[in-house]
Amino acid sequence: MVMKRRTAIIAALSIAAAVVLILWKPTVLIYGLQAAGLYAAVAIPMGLVLGIVHIVNLAHGEFMMVAAYAAYFGCKALGMDPLLAIIPTAIVTAVFGWVIFQLTIRRALKAPELNQLILTFGLAIAFTQTINLIFTSQTYKIPLDYVSASMDIGDLTFGVWSFVFVAVAIIFAYGVKFFLTKTMTGKAAVAVGQNPRGAAIVGIDVYRTYGLVFALALALVGAMGALFLTKSAIFPSVGSPFTMKSFCLIAMAGIGNIPGILGASVLLGVSENFLRAFRPTRDWAEIVFFVLIIAVILARSLKGRKS
Amino acid sequence: MKRVMFALAVLALFVGSAYAQGTIKIGGIWTLADITGKQGSAAAQLAVEEINAAGGVLGKKLELIVVDDEGKADKAAAAVEKLATVDKVDVFVGGMASGAELGKIPAFKKYNKVVMSTGAAGGTVEKGLGPSPDSDFYFHLHPWDYNQGASYAEGWDAIQKKYPNIQIKKIFLAYEEGAFGKSSWDATKILFGSDNRYIVDGASFKSALLGGGDYTAVLEAAKAFKPDLFIWAGYDADALPLLEQSKAMKFSPGIYLGAPPGWPIDFGASKLSPNVMLYGMWSTAMNNNNPASAKFFKNYVAKYKEEPATYFAPLAYSAVYILAEGIKNAGTTETTALIKALEATKYVSPLGETITFKPSNIIKHQGITRQKILQWQNGEQQVIWPFEAATAAPVYPFPAWK
Amino acid sequence: MNRNASRILAALFGVLAVTLPFFAGDYPLQVARNIMMYMALAITWDMLLRSGQISFGIAGLFGIGAYSAILSVIRAGMPAWFSILFAAIFSGVVAFVIGFLILRLRAMYFSIVTLALGEIFRIIIHNLHDFTGGPEGVVIQKGVIFGGNANSLYWLVLAGLAVALAASFWFEKSKIHFALTAIRNNEISAQSSGIDIFRWLLLAFVVTSAIQGLLGGIFVQSYGFATPDAVFSADFTLLPLAMALLGGVYSTTGPIFGAILLGLASEWLKLKIPYGHLVVYGIIIVIVILFMPQGLRQLVRRTSHSADGRSA
Repeated sequence: MVMKRRTAIIAALSIAAAVVLILWKPTVLIYGLQAAGLYAAVAIPMGLVLGIVHIVNLAHGEFMMVAAYAAYFGCKALGMDPLLAIIPTAIVTAVFGWVIFQLTIRRALKAPELNQLILTFGLAIAFTQTINLIFTSQTYKIPLDYVSASMDIGDLTFGVWSFVFVAVAIIFAYGVKFFLTKTMTGKAAVAVGQNPRGAAIVGIDVYRTYGLVFALALALVGAMGALFLTKSAIFPSVGSPFTMKSFCLIAMAGIGNIPGILGASVLLGVSENFLRAFRPTRDWAEIVFFVLIIAVILARSLKGRKS
Repeated sequence: MKRVMFALAVLALFVGSAYAQGTIKIGGIWTLADITGKQGSAAAQLAVEEINAAGGVLGKKLELIVVDDEGKADKAAAAVEKLATVDKVDVFVGGMASGAELGKIPAFKKYNKVVMSTGAAGGTVEKGLGPSPDSDFYFHLHPWDYNQGASYAEGWDAIQKKYPNIQIKKIFLAYEEGAFGKSSWDATKILFGSDNRYIVDGASFKSALLGGGDYTAVLEAAKAFKPDLFIWAGYDADALPLLEQSKAMKFSPGIYLGAPPGWPIDFGASKLSPNVMLYGMWSTAMNNNNPASAKFFKNYVAKYKEEPATYFAPLAYSAVYILAEGIKNAGTTETTALIKALEATKYVSPLGETITFKPSNIIKHQGITRQKILQWQNGEQQVIWPFEAATAAPVYPFPAWK
Repeated sequence: MNRNASRILAALFGVLAVTLPFFAGDYPLQVARNIMMYMALAITWDMLLRSGQISFGIAGLFGIGAYSAILSVIRAGMPAWFSILFAAIFSGVVAFVIGFLILRLRAMYFSIVTLALGEIFRIIIHNLHDFTGGPEGVVIQKGVIFGGNANSLYWLVLAGLAVALAASFWFEKSKIHFALTAIRNNEISAQSSGIDIFRWLLLAFVVTSAIQGLLGGIFVQSYGFATPDAVFSADFTLLPLAMALLGGVYSTTGPIFGAILLGLASEWLKLKIPYGHLVVYGIIIVIVILFMPQGLRQLVRRTSHSADGRSA
């Protein structure tokens, strides 16, 4: 009952804020949501890995970067649109991720948890620098007409393509939730995530499940890699900032709370764009990301201590 | 007696040949993981081989020893120490990122050998070097940030005079929030905003290269300002996404100009590229009217089977030639004599201008002070200004989006 | 190897470290300075880790120290050597204040908050153009400390390392060791046995942060400049972490081994493979962590069949 009332209050406040923004500064809401979509879509696969396999994958962004390069050269070779490359890239990246998992991460799972952190850090360096060695630090971009698609409402003109990330983020979040709650494999994964030893006792192959979840997350990363290519130029270090942002978003939502990543992303995306809309606060937009994360985490810990 | 003579002759031959075999060592420091450093070091190596094929300098061969600075101050300092004490180089060449260059300065000052610098535009580097005579060993080829700003102001004045249909009143600068963009903004505010001929505004954005890539807010601000000249100072990763976003927002200023250090691969093939203007130092179009540029380009492509992607390649190439000529004229690599010889440099460079050294705000030896204003036309960068290096006339205005 | 032998070995290393400038050239000294800087950071990170708290905020406190040192020289005319001490004090005070807020957080949430705080520090420095020099940074006009004398600069960094080592040994040998280990192993039982967890954590956090700030001060004084990109670089967080883990955590010797391994590997590879050395560097990290999950110390201990009996 208390929970329901809280949710209702939050929902009412959000709607009120959205209405105010639409009337006052519609672009803040539009671009805030677009930014949030991209944040969330990249963070969700990392949240899945962190929630089940319990590793902070510092090579998360780098996997997306490798996928984007694969998609770029696939598209170039076959004259294909990156949108058609989404599924093939997802499959290729999932296989690549699974192989990397079996070769490296799996062997470090029994070691102290910090080892996995530094292992993936090493992978991140190796990925970035290998790509740099082969393709140099120059940037690549596929020019596409539809990414400039725009919409006019009154005297307001804005780009609409980036809303695709919002759609993808929602599909990812609820797809992952469906997988974890409604499928046998998903339920087993949740069991492994909560209690690997217990899951092993009831006959679940823990390592197989880890590998599967990792590959699934990497499939999502791969799909994002191809989609990211429509919007952004790619270069060796393009992925690394997303690792930190995703990590922060997951912490803000709370580990294991995949749909919560959506909410956290919207809060951050809209707040950032709100500060950017005004001259005096423009340069401080970046700080809001980190201030909000700290505020949310501290508030949650305070509340946790009280109850 | 005969035997003694013979021995002496052998000795003379031996000493002579040993002397001739001695090399003049050039220590090169760049960030090799970056395209500018990778190609800059390659272009410098090309220059060394060309000079050696033509007989070397003072009867000796040149030798280029390259060490990576990884773009970090501490690694850059170690690179200077290694080249100075282990390889015992005679002179230094290289440099790109200001942060790494600042790390080298204490070590450079300690050894007081001539440095021919190919990068580091940041004014803090000049402050770190300090005034003459302590910084006289440092020859800075690349323009400082304020030199660049001044040359743009000069260029736009000249262009408006020559092409009366181009009229600029309002200028908007979208600058990336790092050192590069911020210094561009400072220079623009001062040079365009001082007398009330121009109205200047600007806003920062986070470059995709540094983890940003969201241009909506800065373009909203630019669109509301309605500039005649829109400039963005960022990196190559921002080039196409910015244009695509501008098109989506139907933002089409009279002049759309980018000032990144390099452009993305195949930018010229994009449908959005025609008539985009840019600041730069060198383009392949200059091969048509500049023999030095044509020679550099031909030899570079023949050796490396790729085209130089940024002007840092011809700049590093020029640096080696200037050093070689200075050493030849000085007859030595000793610092005082070499500085004196280099002060008389008049090098006809592939960058379309004759390089000489003049004092800048703080240091005594500043090489190039002008950047060029160019325009993407039919997939190639054409030089618009300075007019003596021009390869095409400007297309104006930037076409409105369809 | 018994305890006496290892003491003699340590003493020999100490003498070697102090006298290195008398027989090594400027290049080895510069490399040693770079390695010792990261080594000291790795040790301080490990010191806090002994309580179970994983900090991602090394770069943030290093940067705070760097800027407090350089700005106190430029804006307040403080002598160079004193600015380094000021950097330590200032970072310690900052850590004391934020410690009250964040030391009740555990596990990943603590890590994230330290990371976020580091970013906040960077953005503040970045945006206060008039005071801090903004993104372009600031330089010390009169040059670097000791007139750039290579030997003195080396001893300065060595002194910074000595402070970190002394603090680490103090943590290991005093009752702080038992308090921190108890917190790491089982916080609830530690609490019930009367350990004031928060006080010990605050002590560890303030001491390690002050040393990180001190090192930041040494860094700017020995290069004569600070830019946000250079002193808040993620390298100052990630490399010490990698060094401590590769060497073996919860000890002083682990980070030492790790820093020597990674520091020498990076410099050597850079000279041998100018284009592409960082690929090999990444692969080395992966291989070491896979085949030596307890770090290099494990290897050392295994080969020497330590009679020490103490476990990490």
